[in-house]
Amino acid sequence: MRGINKSFYGVKANDDVDFDLGVGEVHALLGENGAGKSTMCSVLAGLYRPDSGEILLDGEPVAFGSPKDALAAGVGMVYQHFRLVMNFTVAENLALGHPDVPTRLSEKDLVAKAHELGDRYDFPVDPNAYVWQLSVGQQQRVEILKLLYREARVLILDEPTAVLTPQEGEALFRTMRLMAEDGRSLIFVSHKLNEVKAVSDRVTVFRDGRVVGSADTVDATPKDLARMMVGRDLDLPKRSGSADRGAVVLSVRDLAVNDDRGLEGLRGVSIDIRQGEVVGIAGVAGNGQRELTHAIAGLRAPTAGTVELGGKDVTSRTVAHRIDAGLAYVPQSRLGVGLASGLTAEENLALKGYRKPPYAKGRLLDQDVFKSRGDKLIDDFDVRGVRPGLPVRLLSGGNLQKVLFAREVSQDHIVLMARSPTRGLDVGATEQVRNQILAERDAGIGVLLVSEDLDELLSLSDRILVFYEGKVVGEFSAEEATPEEIGLLMAGHTEEGAA
Amino acid sequence: MTRRFIVEPRGVADSWVKLAVPVASVVAALVLGAIFLAITGNSVIEVYAKMLKTAFGSWRGFSETLVSATPLILTGLAAAVAFKMLVWNIGGEGQLLIGAVLASGVAIMMGDNVPAVAAVVLVISAGAVGGALWAGIAAAPRVYLGTNEIITTLMLNFIAINLMNYLVFGSFSPWRDPDATQFPQGRPISDRARLPEFGELIPGLKSFLHRLDLGFVIAVVVAILIWVVLFRTPWGFGYRVAGDSAGAARYAGVKVSRTFFATFLMSGAAAGLAGGIMVAGVLGKMDPRSLELGLGFTGIIVAALARLNPVVVIPVAILLGALINSGPALQSIGVPSSTAVMLQGAILIFAVAGEFLIRNRIRRPDAVPTEVSEAEGATA
Repeated sequence: MRGINKSFYGVKANDDVDFDLGVGEVHALLGENGAGKSTMCSVLAGLYRPDSGEILLDGEPVAFGSPKDALAAGVGMVYQHFRLVMNFTVAENLALGHPDVPTRLSEKDLVAKAHELGDRYDFPVDPNAYVWQLSVGQQQRVEILKLLYREARVLILDEPTAVLTPQEGEALFRTMRLMAEDGRSLIFVSHKLNEVKAVSDRVTVFRDGRVVGSADTVDATPKDLARMMVGRDLDLPKRSGSADRGAVVLSVRDLAVNDDRGLEGLRGVSIDIRQGEVVGIAGVAGNGQRELTHAIAGLRAPTAGTVELGGKDVTSRTVAHRIDAGLAYVPQSRLGVGLASGLTAEENLALKGYRKPPYAKGRLLDQDVFKSRGDKLIDDFDVRGVRPGLPVRLLSGGNLQKVLFAREVSQDHIVLMARSPTRGLDVGATEQVRNQILAERDAGIGVLLVSEDLDELLSLSDRILVFYEGKVVGEFSAEEATPEEIGLLMAGHTEEGAA
Repeated sequence: MTRRFIVEPRGVADSWVKLAVPVASVVAALVLGAIFLAITGNSVIEVYAKMLKTAFGSWRGFSETLVSATPLILTGLAAAVAFKMLVWNIGGEGQLLIGAVLASGVAIMMGDNVPAVAAVVLVISAGAVGGALWAGIAAAPRVYLGTNEIITTLMLNFIAINLMNYLVFGSFSPWRDPDATQFPQGRPISDRARLPEFGELIPGLKSFLHRLDLGFVIAVVVAILIWVVLFRTPWGFGYRVAGDSAGAARYAGVKVSRTFFATFLMSGAAAGLAGGIMVAGVLGKMDPRSLELGLGFTGIIVAALARLNPVVVIPVAILLGALINSGPALQSIGVPSSTAVMLQGAILIFAVAGEFLIRNRIRRPDAVPTEVSEAEGATA
């Protein structure tokens, strides 16, 4: 790719980007959110048309008008949000949009080919399973299969590990290596340095829409790459000793909660969190974390057990009561749960406090307070991109999380509960969020941190509890915890357990 | 494959767009109507001039336009309040009729025994209560059982229509006027229960505003009140959050089901109030032929054109009131009065289609992407 330029709303998302991909190469793209990685990939995959610049495939200039054109030329992309039909089987999804179906390709061929590809690249998928029955990791395999089916020679994987467990991630890396050995070329988008080191041959770093450098992965040290990414040396936040522990601020006793299907999602869990303590919950998604946080927040009624906030039983109290009792909560879904997507940043910053002064003045809301408090928080937390009247859904992920954190920590609270608070954030925003969590701890707040990012849990938590199938299967202090042990427990002691 | 035009979401729609698109929908509807009129051999200019003159050309015409607009403001509010919260109440028609039934029922029951001001207040409130109850029949199963309120509210319209007619045609019905010998008619209510006309309160206004009554003022005040409640009170804030994303509302401690229910009842009350005001105002009785004009449905058009803003509902209702008012006059120049109804329908279609242009912009492909990663676009 030569001299690719691409602007959105007058903002240069790609500024004169040059990029070379060799045959049989796994090429990692590293960069913060909005650095231009995804834009370049989307241009290559035919989703966007570049404002200028050219794409050469095997030395020939090509122009893709749509992803279909790109795929026909052998370039395909696995998006972060899968493009699968949930109510179709795997085979049916493979058939979808395939030019040879149904005249030259029968269902039997499809199934046979799926098995063959699965064997060749070591990622078995049952072609007759319905997509909704599959785990996220398996769905991703179907996406990859779709591309292999169409004989894609260049596969672009946009942050494929964001949704995977560590075990699934490693399986994916094996598959990627096998595909590369088979002469396919892969582009691997990530902002995790260790993954880039683990799987790629070459790495290209993006910053502010530009390529800041390329190197063979073996020659690049994580420290160099990190510096290139953020344009400065990176300080990984680290717990400094332990803060003074005070009284228990959140106490969960023998809590049992049903999941959406009415099955026992959480089975008799007890947790105590003290002032100035970060308790991390490790576990593969879907092992009771959601039920736990929902029950604490009051969004889901437990079938047994109690929840105490600041020493008072709130098990049967409303969400609003718990907010008033000092529960700050950063949910996993920023848009649609943590923030009302169509409302402005100012309005969202008032989401928890609007019933009380200073927002409420008598029976009415004080518009000036919305504005002044909103402006102040936007300023204090360095939220960028806010314009009057702009719905928050048009802000970037990092800025959304800043709005969310600003609101939650600016209200009176004794407990901060956060689920995957850095998911999908770039390095800079991640650092800010992690520092905030540590600052909360130092300020004597009890923090419940639910995350799938083990490194994050290890660096922030004073104690780590491991969830598996709705139960606590292990507890570690910060000193004795190792990723290997936790990873095994998360997977229920077996390799298969994670899938 | 090259795309010739590209659609992308607007971040913040400029206020001129928000104004221009509804205006353009009306103009487009008029153009469509003009084509239709020309094909059917009518003089476009003559027809439109006649309509304009009827609706706004004289004090009498203008006051009649406001008379027609009064129930439309309220049914427009009924739809706007509901739709913004994603309550698909399309039963404004039935709620208006039941409002009229209850209002006239209360008025007939009271006879001349209640002092004037109290009587009027009771009759009008009965209208609102009737509408809210009728909406409640659909709201309760919606909130507790998840029934589809589009179907239930729609079906309840037909029940309401037939119920009203039954009460007028039934031989022993207290609603039936015993003196109407030629054709069954609702029993006139006591003058004490009637809304005063402007001309009765201030004699000088009689020659300007003719039979326009205080119902218009009530409708305007209700519109402003609803705006204040929705945009300036804590309850309204919760309502707007819930209408935007129920998940966020629940998370913020808003009782979503309760808000939904309250919105549904409020919507029904507004439509029922329209019925009550018609009975206590211009009609003076439950007159089926004057109530069954599809005012509840027209309210949906009003709400759509007003982009669900309670205050904007007022001018839009006046515009559509003008259309309704001018329809019958077209017959005098040999054009079917349903031309006005046709224009209403066309306006709705263009208004709904226009909403797309307010949310998105269309451009040539050279400058702008197809699927903008919205986040990327708005930052920096």
